[in-house]
Amino acid sequence: MGIVLLGLLGWAWIGTVNLENLLTAGPRFADFVARMLPPDLTLSSTEPTLFPPPLRIAAAAVAVTLQISILGTALAMIAALVLGFLGAENLTPHWVHHPIKIVLAVGRSIPIILLALLFMTALGLGPLPGVLAIAIHSIGMLGKLFAEECETVDGGVWEAMDSTGANWLQKIRYAIWPQVSAQIYSLTLFRLDMNLRESAVLGLVGVAGLGLWIENYRAVFNYQAVATMVIVTMLVVLVVDQTSVYIRRRLK
Amino acid sequence: MIAIEYLEVQYGRKPPVLSIESLSIEAGERVAVIGPSGAGKSTLLRTIKGYVRPAQGKVEVMGVNLATAPPKARKRINRRIGLIYQQFHLARRLTVLQNVLCGRLGVTNRWRSLLGRFSADDRRIAWSAICEVGLQDQVHQRGDTLSGGEQQRVAVARALAQQPMLILADEPVSSVDPAWAEDLLQLITQVQRHHRATLVMSLHQPDLARRFAERIIGLRKGKVVLDSAAAAVTDASLKELYRGDDSIPLNDAAGRPRTSQTRTA
Repeated sequence: MGIVLLGLLGWAWIGTVNLENLLTAGPRFADFVARMLPPDLTLSSTEPTLFPPPLRIAAAAVAVTLQISILGTALAMIAALVLGFLGAENLTPHWVHHPIKIVLAVGRSIPIILLALLFMTALGLGPLPGVLAIAIHSIGMLGKLFAEECETVDGGVWEAMDSTGANWLQKIRYAIWPQVSAQIYSLTLFRLDMNLRESAVLGLVGVAGLGLWIENYRAVFNYQAVATMVIVTMLVVLVVDQTSVYIRRRLK
Repeated sequence: MIAIEYLEVQYGRKPPVLSIESLSIEAGERVAVIGPSGAGKSTLLRTIKGYVRPAQGKVEVMGVNLATAPPKARKRINRRIGLIYQQFHLARRLTVLQNVLCGRLGVTNRWRSLLGRFSADDRRIAWSAICEVGLQDQVHQRGDTLSGGEQQRVAVARALAQQPMLILADEPVSSVDPAWAEDLLQLITQVQRHHRATLVMSLHQPDLARRFAERIIGLRKGKVVLDSAAAAVTDASLKELYRGDDSIPLNDAAGRPRTSQTRTA
């Protein structure tokens, strides 16, 4: 076992690390950082530039990124609820939950960035491909986690509801939902948090938002503006992350 | 109310867990099913509810043959059979009232109930069930904040909200504090009389069965070996029923049935 692990590590090292390159990287990196400093905090530029100064478009970029992640997560949650209940082993017969589990696995196996590229060929640039990419990928993950959450619910309550004559939807509503809702909200918030970061990255392939502006400024070698946008991104991610942690703690 | 003929229940190829030639229970009867662990008490109750499919034989409940009746008819009687479990099986995060309203799910408007809405009738029935079990002061408390005995009262109220013709209670007092067991059986038999329902309960303790049931059915290895009026059950027949099972102490040396308190102390 140990030998196999060592072998794997060595193999990965040989394939990726160029020591000479790594050792001389310091100055180049320092130069890059130096060109990012100080971050561009101006609101108007004296000389004509291709793009407006970063703080001018930051609010709009943050808004689009948030919109993409919120809508994508919301769509994913709705679909994942349906698929999660149908995909739970204790709630549906084998021939229902088995195929659904496969569909969910396929959904989360495709990287978001690839999904975004796919949707962009059909929908063009803009935020919409990002929304769909995030939704599809998140359905796969949330659906699986929701189903697993339902599978932890004690079957006795399900049967007790059945014994009062409740139908399937009523049993979901009264035997399952009260037991899983808090965890489902919590998982969805966690996914929203991840999706925010994902949607920032999606800019690199052309989806609107923070990432697209980082890519735009980088393309014209305006590293000071890149630095500003990176800081803005980090702030937004931090704020959403902390808010989500706070809400999730309250949900317990 | 219940008519069983040549019933056999079998899991896989193993010998039958239940094998009853003939058993009938009339409307309004108060029956206790007793017997050693694994005698088939729960299986009998679950067969009557329709949750266990018999391998052979006929089970008729309220004149409906569970095996051959169309689904509609089965559903119609199913919701008039209240089931009380050993482990209560309440929705823990719902309030007492919400849990009891669940007893109305089979008859209320399905779509409205999904939004958590119940008709005035449903709410009236649920409220009166809650009052009957004496939990009116805890209506809005969450199920999991109640004691075991109180949770079982909620389960009784939920069964009552079904306006049951038949109440099946599967070891209803086995997981509550022994001090509350008698109170609870008192309550169950009282609501059964009040609602003129039939009661079939499986009990672990024969002395409780003798005090709270009118008729006792003794199961041993899936067969009915005792079936008589509770008053006529003798110590000798109980000894024979529980032969080889030391977990049930029957009578003390003086021949007096011990109370459940002293036994568990």
